[in-house]
Amino acid sequence: MTRKTRGATVAAIGLGIALAASACAGGSSGGSGGSGDSAGGKVTVTFWENATNGPDGLAYFQSAAKAFEAIHPNVTIQYQTIQNEDFDGKLQTALNANSAPDIFLQRGGGKMQAEVDAGQLQALNLSATDKTNVGAGALAGLSIDGQAYAVPFDTQPEGIYYSKDLFQQAGITTTPTTIDELEADVALLKKINVAPIAVGAKDAWPAAHWYYNFAVRECSQATLASTAKSLQFSDACWTKAGDDLAAFLKVSPFQNGFLTTAAQQGAGSSAGMLANHKAAMELMGSWDPGVISSLTPNQKPLPDLGWFPFPAVTGGQGDPSAIMGGSDSYSLSKNAPKEALEFLEFLVTKDQQVAYAKAFQSIPVNQAAQSGITESYNVSALQAANKATYSVLYLDTQFGQNVGNAMNTAVVNMMAGKGNAAGIVSASNAAAAKG
Amino acid sequence: MAAASSTRVWTPAGRNRDRRRQKEQWGNPVTYFIALIFIAVCIAPVLYLVLGGFRTNSQITTSPAGLPHPWVLSNYTGILKSSTFWGEFANSTVVALVSSVGIVALGLMVSFVIARYDFKLKGAMYSLFAAGLMFPLVIAITPLYIVIKDLGLIDNLFGIIIPQIAFGLPTTVIILVPFLRAIPKEIEEAAALDGASRLGFFARMVLPLSLPGVVTTGILAFIGSWNNYVLPLYVINSQRNFTLPLGVQQFSSQYSTDTAKVLAFTSLAMLPALIFFSIFQKRIVGGLTGAVKG
Amino acid sequence: MSESLGTDTVAGSQSQGTFGAGGAGVTASPAPPRAAARRRGRARMRLEITLLSGPAIIMFLAFVIFPVAVAAYYGFYRWHGYGPATDWVGLNNYKLIFTDPAFQQVLWHNLLIVVLSLVIQGPLAIIMALLLNQKMRGRGLIRVLIFVPYVISEVIVGTGWSLMLQANGAMNDLLGHIGLGALQSDWLADPNLALWTLMAIISWKYIGFAVILMLAGLQSIPDEIYEAAAIDGASFWQMQRRITVPLLGPTIRIWAFLSIIGSLQLFDLVYIIWGQYVSGTAGTSTMAIYMVAQGRDAGNYGYGSAVAVVMFLISLVVALIYQRFVLRRDLRGAVTEGTV
Repeated sequence: MTRKTRGATVAAIGLGIALAASACAGGSSGGSGGSGDSAGGKVTVTFWENATNGPDGLAYFQSAAKAFEAIHPNVTIQYQTIQNEDFDGKLQTALNANSAPDIFLQRGGGKMQAEVDAGQLQALNLSATDKTNVGAGALAGLSIDGQAYAVPFDTQPEGIYYSKDLFQQAGITTTPTTIDELEADVALLKKINVAPIAVGAKDAWPAAHWYYNFAVRECSQATLASTAKSLQFSDACWTKAGDDLAAFLKVSPFQNGFLTTAAQQGAGSSAGMLANHKAAMELMGSWDPGVISSLTPNQKPLPDLGWFPFPAVTGGQGDPSAIMGGSDSYSLSKNAPKEALEFLEFLVTKDQQVAYAKAFQSIPVNQAAQSGITESYNVSALQAANKATYSVLYLDTQFGQNVGNAMNTAVVNMMAGKGNAAGIVSASNAAAAKG
Repeated sequence: MAAASSTRVWTPAGRNRDRRRQKEQWGNPVTYFIALIFIAVCIAPVLYLVLGGFRTNSQITTSPAGLPHPWVLSNYTGILKSSTFWGEFANSTVVALVSSVGIVALGLMVSFVIARYDFKLKGAMYSLFAAGLMFPLVIAITPLYIVIKDLGLIDNLFGIIIPQIAFGLPTTVIILVPFLRAIPKEIEEAAALDGASRLGFFARMVLPLSLPGVVTTGILAFIGSWNNYVLPLYVINSQRNFTLPLGVQQFSSQYSTDTAKVLAFTSLAMLPALIFFSIFQKRIVGGLTGAVKG
Repeated sequence: MSESLGTDTVAGSQSQGTFGAGGAGVTASPAPPRAAARRRGRARMRLEITLLSGPAIIMFLAFVIFPVAVAAYYGFYRWHGYGPATDWVGLNNYKLIFTDPAFQQVLWHNLLIVVLSLVIQGPLAIIMALLLNQKMRGRGLIRVLIFVPYVISEVIVGTGWSLMLQANGAMNDLLGHIGLGALQSDWLADPNLALWTLMAIISWKYIGFAVILMLAGLQSIPDEIYEAAAIDGASFWQMQRRITVPLLGPTIRIWAFLSIIGSLQLFDLVYIIWGQYVSGTAGTSTMAIYMVAQGRDAGNYGYGSAVAVVMFLISLVVALIYQRFVLRRDLRGAVTEGTV
């Protein structure tokens, strides 16, 4: 799954059960179920989010609600924050019990497709202004047959975060642009006794994202799109991406014991290794700096953190500038009042987006608000994102839980030396039979 | 082996040992040595957790096996000072106590029926509960949630307590039935001669005689409830109803976890269960005797 | 009347007002004709059975049996968890389970875990119990300390061990410090080691329970036997071998039963330490892990339910076989009670 659905805490705190996508975690409180009286009476809009990135995120949302309520005195915005891992289960129960919130976090991809198929989502009727604010590219990823079902707030290009200090110590002057250069850098970093690249394979998806990025380089845009529909991995590029990864593994770029390293839950995680200069690089989405800063010795942001896009491979069908990523997006449940949509529209306006980006340390989706970005890694990521000829949703999200999970597992197997590129294809076919 | 009352000459656990309150002898040094090794293996990992609470995340990452350096007290003191912790502690205590009482009361009654009444469906009744051993809660959590929701018990402590009682019954019945069966017929007949009904016998003889078994099942129920994570996670929504196992969530943000705080929190959270067990451990041996003797 | 007071206190816990009344007017009434008395006795017995077992059975049916039955019903559907289950696939889920090599793999892991648990924990627990059964100072403290891992929740245990056993964790760090760097390994991820690591953790966690159980069993062996053997000049170890272990048979068999059922349903520890993905690679995945990974985590609720049913049936068959062939002598009772 993508970063969101496999967040961290679960295994770390230890948890008995799969919450990340659990059947029905908890309650169906909230959920006005469309109590909206659109004729100007009192309206309560319920809003479920997983913004557990500490007090800043919540504070932003609350101030945004106040600002909106000031303009629309008849509306009350009611927040409920839900632990990220419990979110999907709770939401699913609520949707089933007809007590869904009006606005809720949308994971996108196959999950969104399932919700649309079950008639749970409202088709969004966006104005020209909204489309300008959000940007056509970002909206396309949240549309089905040209119809948008969610509004993105930010853009999260995935790339490699690295420690500038460690690169300097190892004598690396420029960031690698091809896999061959990356392999050379791996050798240099080994000489200074740090793990060249940290990966949290315990959660599967961080490891699988290496494969997906190779696939984005090897497969053409058309192949990616058609495979997402058919879920038939027959094109040779899928196998080739697996072979690329296998070849890359030969230089042992990852830390020892990467199979049982978690991605981001606290001490000993791959993000923690980067935070304490025990590893030099990590392939991650744009929330990584926030995670890293909570794990540094002084619990402040890592001052020497940089970012570069996934390197190019020779002879790939994909555009070398293409980028894989995702976004924090929000959908409306089928009975949400029109005020819920108005609130979403309000959130993607420039001033709101500037405040949002500040609170979440992320790249806002509204291009007019992007000038406020200062962190070097965000600047690099934004440049790469703007340069990209096209962007692709995290493939495991794109393919849906069922196939995505199976592929993630198959990739981990391959990295552990217990499978091969062909196994990834057969795993996805087996998963399709179960779903 | 409980010698609960000095006047008792007979226990269901078999023969009452001669329990003169003599000074216990020191045992063989070899025995102590072996026990010491055994204990070291048992306790070292627990100590690691407790000590981890005195470190920072960065210390744990960079020097995993090191001792706290410097010692950080803030993880523990912060938790002990927080009202959240004590609220969760209170909830956990209420849930564990009510669940244990419920499991023991219902379990004892149904075990008494299975052990001492003759009727057609006796075997079926026993099998029903025994089959319950094969159902982990994980299997049924989805439909179970719906049942709890229909009863309006979501986000309510009783939404944890009632299912816990139901899921705790199989173990209790398995332990108590052989125990109650071991009470000799003669005692029942003697009670009947004294004019006691079977229920009177239950109240006046069975309850006191089965005390060790009751304590045993009570302890197991208490510990099970204290450590239960899955059910509260599904049933409880609001912070004011959180039990301790859910409390670790406050140290987890969307992408990360404060490991050191989690270690401190869990170290504190396991203490009550350990203390509870230490107090009653003598009884647990006495209690299980009935069960394993069969 | 006095006995009704006693029963009332019991009944009080479930507010059955009729209970006391039922227990009352019995001894108080004058002696009725015999047939009527028998009838009344039978009716009364029925009432007692109903009142005593009713609450437990109702609760058990509502919160355990009913949900499990519903889960079994979903097993016949392909269902993604949104909206009602409509896509009836009959036995197709079951067909997939039995043909899935991944399921065969977890079944094999489960069987290994069952056997290894018995072989590792059994002898250790018996020896420990024999030692601790001597009357000596500090026995209570030792018992408590050995039981500590059992009292701590799986959640905490899993968190602690995964921290310690990571490749860059405390265990390898410690080995490096004390000059045993050669022994450093990837305890969790190395497929040749992972299962043994899991067994070590399971043994550590559950052996306390086994020891306590064995100690309990030892209590019921009469001292006179030992006294007689001592007069015959038997040594300590002879006594243990000839007397204690055979007499401990029923206890050992009960413990083994509980251990087998527990091993078949192992979930928490593996899930926390390995996660759902890597456990298969490392060779520690179990049926319950498969159930969650292929069911809930993949959004295939119908398939997951079918796996749950298969797990239950496997546990049940194993339990029945065990009862029939191993426990028959000790336990006229458990699952086969009605037929013995």
